Amino acid sequence: MMTVRRKRRTFARRKICRFCVDSDLRIDYKDSKTLRYFVTERGKIVPRRISGNCAKHQRVLTLAIKRARQIALLPYTATHML
Amino acid sequence: MRKYETFFIIDPDLPDETNTVVDNKVQSVVSSNGGEVLTYVPWGKRKLAYAIKRHTRGLYVLMEYAGGPKLVAELERNLRIDERILKFITVMLEERFDPEKERERIAAAQAAAVVPFSEEEESTVGVLGGEEDIEEMPEDFEAEAFKEEEEEE
Repeated sequence: MMTVRRKRRTFARRKICRFCVDSDLRIDYKDSKTLRYFVTERGKIVPRRISGNCAKHQRVLTLAIKRARQIALLPYTATHML
Repeated sequence: MRKYETFFIIDPDLPDETNTVVDNKVQSVVSSNGGEVLTYVPWGKRKLAYAIKRHTRGLYVLMEYAGGPKLVAELERNLRIDERILKFITVMLEERFDPEKERERIAAAQAAAVVPFSEEEESTVGVLGGEEDIEEMPEDFEAEAFKEEEEEE
């Protein structure tokens, strides 16, 4: 393509891990309200480069989201309708 | 002894009496297999993220208990047989169960009186609607994701 490579990270806001900042914030698979924030409208897990989580918390979070899906607190996909 | 929690969904269309039967049955399975029920908290009826056995809502119950691995196998076997239970998940909370610590924790929890998800929350959500209830999600995530992906091309 003819694109002059657009400047990367024009919006280089420093992303911070919410769970590191606020240690009271526990990652729990039963807490679907918090987990919702890390899932897209289609139900996909938001990648770390976007959510800004640290590796450690992202791992825990991923597990929690997958558990929440198992017990139908979170959807596997948005089109899962009757 | 380990500490486990089992989170399961009961058929919401059952009358209340049947629920009590299920409650008693589940608890008796734990106690008759050398376990100890620590907490048994019904979380109320809630809309499911996807249909399970054609049900769109379910009655969630959270049970914490202490016991060995054999107990979990037996409990899960029973839950699987019971048609009133739609789905369950068991998670190990602690490798070593400490009754002292547990007592303190329960006392603290009672003081705080935690309310799980409230009835109102679920009733505001549309009956049909998968689409509606996910809308509260932050849109900037998707938007940002788009930008970055474009740039990678």
